[in-house]
Amino acid sequence: MTTTDLKALESLTRDYAAFQSHKSGLATALGGLMAVLFLTAPMYVDALGIRLMGRYLLEYLLLAPFVWLVLKALLGRVLYRDLGEVKAIPDAAYERRRWFWILGIALFIGVFLILCILGFASGFLHAIPAGACVSMPSLGALWLPLLYLAPLPWMLRGIEEARAYAVLVGECMLWFLASFLAFWSTRSYRQPSMETASTVVQITLVCLLLAILIWSALAMVRGWKEHREYLAILRALPREA
Amino acid sequence: MPKNGPDPRAILDLDRIVHEPARLAILTVLASAEEVSFLFLQRVTGLSKGNLSSHTQKLEAAGYLETVKAFQGRIPVTSFRITEDGRAALRVYHQQLRALLPKEGKP
Repeated sequence: MTTTDLKALESLTRDYAAFQSHKSGLATALGGLMAVLFLTAPMYVDALGIRLMGRYLLEYLLLAPFVWLVLKALLGRVLYRDLGEVKAIPDAAYERRRWFWILGIALFIGVFLILCILGFASGFLHAIPAGACVSMPSLGALWLPLLYLAPLPWMLRGIEEARAYAVLVGECMLWFLASFLAFWSTRSYRQPSMETASTVVQITLVCLLLAILIWSALAMVRGWKEHREYLAILRALPREA
Repeated sequence: MPKNGPDPRAILDLDRIVHEPARLAILTVLASAEEVSFLFLQRVTGLSKGNLSSHTQKLEAAGYLETVKAFQGRIPVTSFRITEDGRAALRVYHQQLRALLPKEGKP
């Protein structure tokens, strides 16, 4: 057994353990793909006004981050456990950065929720122009963002996952906000157009959309790269005895 | 042997438990993670089940690793983790081996 063999064994073990601690492979790519679909699909189908089984599509979209979390866990179990369990050695610095992300997302959701509630409480409803739509996403959906906080510490294992989750939740919040703005500023709930928004808001939204699209593309590339790394680990193993 | 060269008798001081290639591989893998399943250890070292069991028993008897038995649903899963003694033994072994090897550039 040479030094090179030992180094290879070490790195093989560390790389494999990384897939059970913070790397997600195809789940990260799926997060990117979902983010793109989630962002672009409602633009084409006028999601804010569409009803599905008696509820607005928006309310289903709010569940997208949970769907991703479940798919992520399933993919991890099916794809990246071929060789059994290996627990990685905890890395304190990495864990600190992960918690920084988790706290950031929690703070973002909390602030957004408070703003929504305050918006309603301070006469959002009184500002409805005459003839505005009478239907809107149920107010019950208002508490849904709170659910996003629940799985954070348990289901987001790595920084990449936290980023994917943050973007998906951020998009949900965006649609959530769009539904309120549409309700408030247009005569028909089916026409939440950008025309009513100021130039600054329009530019901000376009920048945000571009940022999300770029992030999504990067996530897809990174996820695919990680998956190929995993396949390389499997190839590097000695043949079964 | 030059005056400042390594003492050849030092090779006799090597820990024989660690020096055996299969056990060295097992300890190296265990030192790179917190806990490692039997299945992974078997696949990564290329040892047969019987061989692996025998070597892990020897390492456990020496106090270099501990066995963790658990259930995943109804399936029993055996894992191993290296002890502090095991980690120290591996470190000492590497140091001894490095000391025995000729320095770069010298025959």
